[in-house]
Amino acid sequence: MVEVMGEDAFEALVAAHHSEIHRYLVRVSGRASDGDDLSQETFLRAFRAHGSLPADANVRAWLFAIATNLCRNYFRSEKRRRLAHAAVRAEPITAELPRPDGEALVKETNLRVDMIVASLPPKQRLAFTMRKLHGLDYEAIGSSLQCSADSARAHVFQALRKIRRELGDLAPSRTEPKR
Amino acid sequence: MSAARPTCREIEPDLIALATGEAEPGAARSVEDHVARCAPCRDELERYQAVEGLVADLRGAPMPGVDPTLARAELESRLADLRSRLVSFGIFPSPLGPILIARSEQGVAMVEYLESEEAAHSRLSRLAGAEAVRDPAAAEVLYGELLDYLGSRRTRFDWPLDLRWARSDFQRRVLEATARLPYGAVTSYGHIARNIGTPTATRAVAQALRWNPLPIVIPCHRVVGSSGGLTGYAGDKVGLKQQLLSLEGVPVAGPGARRIERRAMYHLDQNEREYCLPSCGSISVRPLSTLTLFGSREQAEAVGLIPCTTCRPDLHPLPRQALHP
Repeated sequence: MVEVMGEDAFEALVAAHHSEIHRYLVRVSGRASDGDDLSQETFLRAFRAHGSLPADANVRAWLFAIATNLCRNYFRSEKRRRLAHAAVRAEPITAELPRPDGEALVKETNLRVDMIVASLPPKQRLAFTMRKLHGLDYEAIGSSLQCSADSARAHVFQALRKIRRELGDLAPSRTEPKR
Repeated sequence: MSAARPTCREIEPDLIALATGEAEPGAARSVEDHVARCAPCRDELERYQAVEGLVADLRGAPMPGVDPTLARAELESRLADLRSRLVSFGIFPSPLGPILIARSEQGVAMVEYLESEEAAHSRLSRLAGAEAVRDPAAAEVLYGELLDYLGSRRTRFDWPLDLRWARSDFQRRVLEATARLPYGAVTSYGHIARNIGTPTATRAVAQALRWNPLPIVIPCHRVVGSSGGLTGYAGDKVGLKQQLLSLEGVPVAGPGARRIERRAMYHLDQNEREYCLPSCGSISVRPLSTLTLFGSREQAEAVGLIPCTTCRPDLHPLPRQALHP
């Protein structure tokens, strides 16, 4: 008999990584339903390609790269959609930035941080989320975003600068409450 | 950070790195030295540390309303659908030229002689509704067995066949009947037609085998015309048919070696368990549609046949052929 195409191995891969990838995509897309779709698409793509994955590959980083790539395409089409929409309704584009589901976050500050992250430019948002919320290393983030590890780090730091700036007074400073 | 001071601006990336716990020891020390002297940067470091704390909270926070269960269940059903449609293929070199081998989760779905790699996609498009993915590793085992067969180290394949893309039920029946023909045996299109209960459908059988999606694996090269002529093979590749028959020890002769040599083969009547010499009774003039022929006694006996007790092919074997002209 011919063995069935790595089915068990792929089952294990889904079991190990689905919920994290799903969480990542819900957060970066800003919509639970889009996170659902994008995570399914990520694993369908992974299924088509996992046969040619080297045995020593970092599967988690590879899945993040697929997810990130899909997400960037999603942002592009989302932007097109918004532009078309805005043209029809003659409304400012900025009014429709993707934002997290309102009930998704309990804490006020968490919500603030989440909103700021959602308003970051795509590369910064993706790099920040991969680094700070999923703990990926800069090498992996760089290959996901098709840039160097140094650029990946620069995106994350740029995101941190913006969060720090936007959060301003909300970020408690123990020594000097006011400057 | 005091934007006015160059040292503060310069140290800022290391300051963020220190706040996020990523600074190299040397850089961490310079930042610590600097903030000890610079109050605005000390403040800045603390703010970044506070951001780091908020981010850590966010990392650990549940995302209420976000449930991967449904997405996972939907994924499983889409995966099951994709699995059933996915066909992995590779294109491999062989002594017969480039060969495309495609398999699904059910078994081997396509074997094709290719004139060029570019032809692969038009061939694969015959697998309607399938999703073809180039994945040579998935077809590697099948390729290995094919090479073993072509190198005479293997006489049968145990691959499950995926005949979902057969053109009709009739073709599927023809293919299944042909798949049962043993190594080194030859019969006629008419015989296959009788086998599947449609004795008058000789031409339709030939047509069905002309579109055999799995040449070699389904050995349509073992099926010849009623007069023993090799007729067609995979379009215009009668030469390949002759090569495969020779490989299996079937004597081929005639102009351009385009006819099996019945006189040099052992004969089996369709209702018998005993194989005979061609000189046994009237068997040599019986139509091929009622017979199966074997190139050697070993091949006949390998499928459980016994020598005829009248003509005794075991005592009077046919002279050995020069098998590889």
